[in-house]
Amino acid sequence: MEATQAIPVKYDMDVVRWFTIMAAIYLVVGTSIGVYIASELAWPFLNFDIPYITFGRLRPLHTNSVIFAFGGCTLMATGYYIVQRTGATKLWNNGLAWFTFWGWNLIIVLAVITLPLGMTQGKEYAELEWPIDILIALVWVAFGLNYIMTVAIRKSSHIYVSNWFFMSMIIMITYLHVVNSLAIPVSLTKSYSIYSGVQDAMIQWWWGHNAVGFYLTAGFLGIMYYFVPKQANRPVYSYRLSVLHFWALTFGYVWLGAHHLQYTALPDWTGSLGAAISLAMIIPSWGGAMNGMMTLSGAWDRLRTDYILRFLVVSLAFYAMSTFEGPVMSIKTVNALSHYTDWTIGHVHSGALGWVAMVSVGAIYHMMKKLWKTEMYSDSLVNVHFWLATIGTVVYVVAMWVSGIMQGLMWRDYDEYGALTYTFVESVSAMHPYYAMRVVGGVIFNLGAWIMLFNVVMTVRQASTAHGTNAVPAKA
Amino acid sequence: MDVESMTTNDWLGVFFAVFVFVAMIYVYFMVFRPANKDKFESQRGMALDDEDLINSGDKK
Repeated sequence: MEATQAIPVKYDMDVVRWFTIMAAIYLVVGTSIGVYIASELAWPFLNFDIPYITFGRLRPLHTNSVIFAFGGCTLMATGYYIVQRTGATKLWNNGLAWFTFWGWNLIIVLAVITLPLGMTQGKEYAELEWPIDILIALVWVAFGLNYIMTVAIRKSSHIYVSNWFFMSMIIMITYLHVVNSLAIPVSLTKSYSIYSGVQDAMIQWWWGHNAVGFYLTAGFLGIMYYFVPKQANRPVYSYRLSVLHFWALTFGYVWLGAHHLQYTALPDWTGSLGAAISLAMIIPSWGGAMNGMMTLSGAWDRLRTDYILRFLVVSLAFYAMSTFEGPVMSIKTVNALSHYTDWTIGHVHSGALGWVAMVSVGAIYHMMKKLWKTEMYSDSLVNVHFWLATIGTVVYVVAMWVSGIMQGLMWRDYDEYGALTYTFVESVSAMHPYYAMRVVGGVIFNLGAWIMLFNVVMTVRQASTAHGTNAVPAKA
Repeated sequence: MDVESMTTNDWLGVFFAVFVFVAMIYVYFMVFRPANKDKFESQRGMALDDEDLINSGDKK
């Protein structure tokens, strides 16, 4: 950051503050819905025969609220934060940033209204109907334009690696969302995909896996490459490795989607290609995880006292674990056992809770202290949150691993006459203890989210009292 | 290989597959070239260099 050492830069951080607060709120909302629908699977009477709260309608609301509400607000908060600070410049257009804030939250409100009413395109992670899809595209492009233009007007000569990850995410998600959402509307609330049959499946999982690859991985790696060095107060272990990580991920991820469709009508070679590239992706993923962890070289002792750093480091452990598990599950032999079972749910949540949520929470706690120029209201509560999040994730994931593998083994078991040993309902019955165990894990994780929200609110109040303003600190 | 039956989409696929393969080799070469080591690694601490610049924008 050569040319910028002398003069303090005034950043546009109000919008970052509000995205940060909304992220903390949406983590509570999203995980609460998750706990409820997990309870519905364990104790189906909780559906109460009310269509609006059945599993089928609340499940997309859960995924949309954790991925797009919590994840989206986290990405926009951290994105606007990182791009300004690493570029030593304010946002290209602060008004446009506020448009993204209100637009994104409007989308979330529309999701809360339409999904329980059963208005859905039926495409996983892309359920929202066409008018909302158009709004998503508009807001997302506004976010992208603002981000890229802020990079363009930066005062530093180099573009820090986090910004590359964010821009990769922005460009690819625009492309993926628009292509996957192409549909023919028949009314304001109903449309049909322009794709059909196996092409629809292929496009859907090209989107589905890259929502994971670019939205939930590239974007959050951008967060990791900024906040791990910041919190550890150490430079990135290897900048060359981070560059390699970026390009390998960007070139590689788009090939993987077909591994979601093994043993379907899709041509066999596409699934094999997806699996082969998935396995190859272990190398850059682990390289990146090691790069993050080794950044702590010489500062490992800080994990004893720095609870925020614990979130970031444990997130890297889960990132490494889930980026190994995923490719293994894509291998056809393993997939024959794992596909359609709860193992997939366990895998997804080791990534979602262990990687995405943990790295987000670490970044949010870090930003809270900087944005409000204060210490956290309670460091002890950060520590309590850390243990609840870690234990909750492990309990959840282990329950789903055991349940999923048991399901797979029961479904494929046959007797000496070639007849299936177990009926489907017997496998459902056998899963019940693990479904209850999942609820316990979810409740533990959810409790941590509530504690975080309390800590965030009290920190803002503490800062407001200290600085004599309502929501944000006084001008520096 | 039945080249005659290759469609435009097939050729585009071939082109992008080869392009990505070559581009990835180029990235590996650039990153691991000893002459580039200092150029890349000089940015390691960039995230740490912004602490003195904070004036975290304020509510009107």
